[in-house]
Amino acid sequence: MTPILEARGLVQQYATGRSLFGKPPSMRAVDGVDLAVREGEILGIVGESGSGKSTLGRMLLGLETPFAGEVRWRGQPMPAPRTDMWRRLRAQMQLIFQDPLAALDRRMTIAAQIAEPLEIHGLMKGAEAAERVAELMARVGLRPDQADRYPHELSGGQRQRVVISRALAMRPKFLVCDEPVSALDVSIQAQVVNLLRDLQEQEGLTMVFISHDLKVVHNICNRVAVMYLGRVVEEGPSGEVFGDPRHPYTRALVSSIPKAGRGLTDRIILQGEPPNPAMRPPGCAFHPRCAIADAACAGEIPELSGHRGRLTACLKQRAIIPATAA
Amino acid sequence: MTDTTLPEGTGTSPVKAGMVRRLRTSMPLVIWCAVGWLAAMVLTAIFADLLRPHEITAMSLTQRMAPMGTPGYWLGTDDLGRDVLSRLIQSIRVSLVIAFGATIISAVFGTTLGFLAAQFRGWVENLVMALADFQAALPFMIMSLAVLAFFGTSMVLLVGLMGFYGWERYARIARGLAISASAQGYAGAVVQLGAKPSRVYLRHILPNVASTLIVSMTLTFPEIILMESGLSFLGLGVQPPQTSLGNMVGFGREYLTRAPWIMLAPSVVIVLTTLSISLLGDWLRDRLDPTIR
Amino acid sequence: MLNFILSRMARAVMTLVMVMSFAFIVMRLSGDPATILLGPDAPQDAIDAFRARWGLDDPLWKQYLAYIAQIFTFDFGISMRDQMPALDIVLERIPATLAITLPAMILKLGIGIPAGVYAALHRESIADRGVITLSIFGFTIPSFVLALVLVLIFSVQLGWLPSGGQDSWQHAILPIVTLSVGGIGIMARFSRSAMIEVLGQPYIRTAMAKGLSWRDVVWKHALPNASVPIVTLVGFMVGALIAGAAVVESIFSWPGVGRLIVSSVANRDLAVVQCLLLVIASSMVAANLLVDIAYGLLDPRLRSKRSAH
Ligand SMILES: Nc1ncnc2c1ncn2[C@@H]1O[C@H](COP(=O)(O)OP(=O)(O)OP(=O)(O)O)[C@@H](O)[C@H]1O
Ligand SMILES: [Mg+2]
Repeated sequence: MTPILEARGLVQQYATGRSLFGKPPSMRAVDGVDLAVREGEILGIVGESGSGKSTLGRMLLGLETPFAGEVRWRGQPMPAPRTDMWRRLRAQMQLIFQDPLAALDRRMTIAAQIAEPLEIHGLMKGAEAAERVAELMARVGLRPDQADRYPHELSGGQRQRVVISRALAMRPKFLVCDEPVSALDVSIQAQVVNLLRDLQEQEGLTMVFISHDLKVVHNICNRVAVMYLGRVVEEGPSGEVFGDPRHPYTRALVSSIPKAGRGLTDRIILQGEPPNPAMRPPGCAFHPRCAIADAACAGEIPELSGHRGRLTACLKQRAIIPATAA
Repeated sequence: MTDTTLPEGTGTSPVKAGMVRRLRTSMPLVIWCAVGWLAAMVLTAIFADLLRPHEITAMSLTQRMAPMGTPGYWLGTDDLGRDVLSRLIQSIRVSLVIAFGATIISAVFGTTLGFLAAQFRGWVENLVMALADFQAALPFMIMSLAVLAFFGTSMVLLVGLMGFYGWERYARIARGLAISASAQGYAGAVVQLGAKPSRVYLRHILPNVASTLIVSMTLTFPEIILMESGLSFLGLGVQPPQTSLGNMVGFGREYLTRAPWIMLAPSVVIVLTTLSISLLGDWLRDRLDPTIR
Repeated sequence: MLNFILSRMARAVMTLVMVMSFAFIVMRLSGDPATILLGPDAPQDAIDAFRARWGLDDPLWKQYLAYIAQIFTFDFGISMRDQMPALDIVLERIPATLAITLPAMILKLGIGIPAGVYAALHRESIADRGVITLSIFGFTIPSFVLALVLVLIFSVQLGWLPSGGQDSWQHAILPIVTLSVGGIGIMARFSRSAMIEVLGQPYIRTAMAKGLSWRDVVWKHALPNASVPIVTLVGFMVGALIAGAAVVESIFSWPGVGRLIVSSVANRDLAVVQCLLLVIASSMVAANLLVDIAYGLLDPRLRSKRSAH
């Protein structure tokens, strides 16, 4: 099956300061990512804070131009941000933000905000648009009488429902959810996650789901990519990745998921400092914290490649290949 | 994040409600007086033609320097026997029209530049900020004097010049608020829905920053009145036969000992007007926008 | 820190270049510089000589560079009224202006800041209300009205102080008072709100929770932090002082720079106006640069960053 969205060699770097003379210092938030998203799947992206998940998500949507590499949507290159082509493409791909209050205009009623994409793309007007708004609100579980409310009059979960219904107004094909529930109360996180999953099934959406919550990712994602300091270190079907993690970093992550009846007894505690993209270690970025690293790991950056039927970026995995292949 | 940097519009947090109530109970008299005075001034400016008992240039040689309270000339007359009250009414109109016009020009100009800087970043932003630095570095009075020296004085030039007063403040505010709104806030969300910049700025950012801009307008308005009256006082602003508040005080200065009423009435009007706007502005600022001083 | 100072200096130079460009543009827009700098009655051969010397028939960018070069040789043209170099006329007036603006500045800071801080420390007291009310009056009364009222009271009615001229130290009193009143009001109000804001910060509460005396909290924590915004205002005050001097010197016939600019504008003595513009702008830029550096020294966030910024 051809992927609906494809990323090749994505790199993003940001200036970390200013300098009067010479080049300002910079830091790579995303450092060479290849990724394919297949139609109709939910791809999870996990990784520590600062590993570049949000940056990757924004580049996948074309909201930011990558420093290097390219994103292809249905085989076509992503148009430059803020061009007419790019604006038209927004009807097909949308972002769900982490903080719904910040994403909503506090001076507009929620009905007006849900109707906005319809107006922007000139699809519907008047009664027809009002009908569609009512339908969308019902769809995400908002009451009709909430149409004239302002964002601050709603609860966090309700606001996120508004953001979701606004994103769905144009019947997009592709959705990036960037930690869509982490700003919400734990008690309603599950509701919103279930809503997203139901919508994905009913509308046939393709979705990239960025989250810290490995359990949720395990539950709803078909595939998952694990990021460490701007690179994907492991990628595969989520059952396999969570059931049999290969990369030492993934293993540490997976061991931290509490499981019923087991506790956290065999949890792998990562040593060393948390990753800092401004001071990326040479070679494999994970080697200073890795239990199985040796001198070679500091000398070579491992590529994401197939080992024993799975994609990992670890020199130690390569070492195993001949053994199993033989 | 945006909660602290953007003015709250319809918000009714308990803290805010308490503050408004406190203002309502402790401030009303002063604020009502200020509003009343300003309303009177605006009405005077609008109906100046009807209210004026005499022509502003009509001289009465028999009634030169008549003191206050002279029948028919309740605020007295000046050295040429012109009615001070009539001239005062006309002056209020001229000064207010200049100040209103200039405030609006500078708010529109500054906000537009600030939005352009926020939208295009890069060299546009650098240019706007460098211009704002320049404007802030050179005392406005001195700049105006230099321009008036080179071009001579005229009403159009004066309004245009005053229209530059304070633009850099609007530009800074508008730019800052627009950038923070686009970076992670509601404006960024609307852009990502596919909206054109015109929609983002006019439908979303402008309504959200309006209250902050209005508060700045209440700061610049009295300053423009003072600036214009200062220039006119020095004889470099509004030129005779037209008259403005500062211009009247300037003429009255020569008769300070013999006919102090000539400068008294316009001085009082200037002070009360700027005072009223400042009080009202302070009150509005506390009410609308707790984030700026 | 070095980087910070360098970038501020670059900005200062940039601002000065903009002021020069502004003067150049205004001059070119308003007519022929030959007649502007030599006066309308200058003989034709003088005008021709001037045009040739300054290359007025060259392309604009060449003229602009020539103009900048001219300024760097301190050649600002000849005053058409006094037939003297404009710069000499301006420099001659500077001491008189300093004689009233420096004391006014000291009064602004010396009265305004303590009053504001006192009001902030005694919020809602009678003293606080008094400071607020007086400060509002202080900056809403235009200086020319205040000056005339002071003259009316102290010169005309009481006869205590002279109403104009520069013969004795008594002559300086009314100009200084007039110049400082508005600034005292602004300074007091601003210090008050800066101080109130600082006092509301969590670190003040922490310091109090540590058991420091109120005195130590105020002197060691609140005041140093409140001084950062206050210092920025001082930069603006310098500009306000010079602008105020234009009005005040004219009223009190004080022979300083301010009165010079008003009379040269009235006489359209453009060489002098242009020279004044550049001299005033340079002193403003220098003052703001000093303020910026002081700001950098005071602000712990900038101070602690050694080389990163
Ligand atoms: N616009 C930007 N300018 C400068 N640096 C940025 C920018 N956006 C992100 N970064 C930096 O890039 C790195 C990766 O950021 P990113 O937001 O992609 O991480 P993340 O994985 O989403 O983290 P989190 O889980 O905390 O959301 C961080 O170090 C961040 O500081
Ligand atoms: Mg993120």
